[in-house]
Amino acid sequence: MCSLGNDQLYYSLRTMIALVDCNSFYATCEQVFRPDLWGTPVVVLSNNDGCVIAANKEAKDLSEIPMFEPVFKIKKQLIKNNVTFFSSNYTLYGEMSQRVMNILDAFSPQVEIYSIDEAFVEISGIKHFSLNTYGHQMKDTIYQYTGLPVGVGIAPTKVLAKLANKISKKRAHENNNVFVIDSEKKRIEALRWADVKTIWGIGSKHAKRLKNIGVFTAYEFTQLPEEWVRKNMTVVGVRIWKELQGESCIEFKTMPKPKQGIGTAKSFGKKLEDLGMIQEACSYYISEVSEVLRNQKSCATYLQVFLHTNYFSDRDKQYSNSITVTLSIPTCDTFTLISEAKKALDAIYKPGYRYKKVGVCLSGIIPREYVQGNLFIPPPRWNKSKLLDTFDAINRKYGKSTVFSGLVGTRVKEWELIKEDRSPRYTTQWRELLKVKS
Amino acid sequence: MEIFTSGKLSKVKNRHAPEVSKQTGFPSPATHYAEPSIDLHKELITNRDATFFVRIDGDELSHHNILHKDVLLIDRSLKPRPKDLVLVVQDGVFKVIEFPKNPLDTECVLWGMISYIIHYAR
Repeated sequence: MCSLGNDQLYYSLRTMIALVDCNSFYATCEQVFRPDLWGTPVVVLSNNDGCVIAANKEAKDLSEIPMFEPVFKIKKQLIKNNVTFFSSNYTLYGEMSQRVMNILDAFSPQVEIYSIDEAFVEISGIKHFSLNTYGHQMKDTIYQYTGLPVGVGIAPTKVLAKLANKISKKRAHENNNVFVIDSEKKRIEALRWADVKTIWGIGSKHAKRLKNIGVFTAYEFTQLPEEWVRKNMTVVGVRIWKELQGESCIEFKTMPKPKQGIGTAKSFGKKLEDLGMIQEACSYYISEVSEVLRNQKSCATYLQVFLHTNYFSDRDKQYSNSITVTLSIPTCDTFTLISEAKKALDAIYKPGYRYKKVGVCLSGIIPREYVQGNLFIPPPRWNKSKLLDTFDAINRKYGKSTVFSGLVGTRVKEWELIKEDRSPRYTTQWRELLKVKS
Repeated sequence: MEIFTSGKLSKVKNRHAPEVSKQTGFPSPATHYAEPSIDLHKELITNRDATFFVRIDGDELSHHNILHKDVLLIDRSLKPRPKDLVLVVQDGVFKVIEFPKNPLDTECVLWGMISYIIHYAR
């Protein structure tokens, strides 16, 4: 252990990492535009209004409201407790998230967007003022510009930054939502405070095993021999073990990682029996996901289609099935994917059931330069695929679904779920601007 | 639903650049002076990440030159000075007021400063 003087010098010379994350992001996005709800419980429901996926602090404090429960089971409790609920408004959350990330960009050239509401920010070369001040500046600027409260944790490694962030929130009035681990003393204190199961990357399975051998805190975990960790928790565990000791080994990725799978599945607005209509919904989802695929210049190898009835209905006969197709050549072509999905759906559809949901998922995603042909099919030439480029260009310019595959049909309104409690898209739609009464 | 006509811009037709003969004739004298056309978004918004649009509903603000259906640009990054028009929250309700000389005396929360008022003249 080094003396305090050396210790501080050691930390001041290091590149530090800040984890900035928005508090109850979805719920606070709603509250920014609804001052009448400031200080009141707010929850946001999942895409098909199925369950509660986000809640603000006021709602979490009501112990009666369980998260991830189907809404129809808890609707009475929500109403009784005066909880305001919103259907999810991803257009709004996505736009607000973009603002936060842009603001962070001004603080550091290295920002890794980790999820819709959190980012790692690399901080190096800060000598003229304290890291604590810097953290507060990030927090205050984001709050002033967007109205969104954030927490900031600053430490020498990503795992420690995550932990610092947690501490900033747990002792909110003491630390004011900013916490910095910049000395050995603070690091050890933080590790002693943290339950090992709350450490980033340690799953519940490992946490249980650690508990069985008497390891409860993160500090006790770091005292285990490296060999034990490697043997029982693989190299991933060793990385966490090292990061907790201040040795950075999880690299900084400034480019978004290509997705492992892209999927979409939404409940229908009403139960559907007719194959035709289900097919149109399925084609619609394929159009959405293949566009995402093209935007990130990649191709999918596998296509999964699934279909099921309403699990929660006692009256309906239940059926569900799913099928995964290996594509002869990885592709991002909407038309190929739609026709493959149509075949897949034909194979699993059974008449006589009232279906609630159809979904598609593309996986085995690779950059499109890596697509190889096979003996019978030459590799595709993307620079020649004018049709899809034009297709995307038109839809970008004139709005989503200006041109679409004929298989998508024109009955979207008939099967699409109307989100009744969705807030206006304040920041992206001219007709849905925030209204101020005078 | 109420349909707003003000402020909606109809789409501008794509103007194809006329082909200029490469072999004969004089090049346009404007070639070296070409600049992009005026982009209101660029002119009126200095901080995109802090700017929000709101629409006024009602005629009570006409003394501030703000009329029914006007769109306000709110720039939350600007620090208001006394007499600047600001959007505030009072008892959970949005209000447009002149920024007071002693902001601490008033019981409202500043939401943002009004940087522009967009009014459809027709």
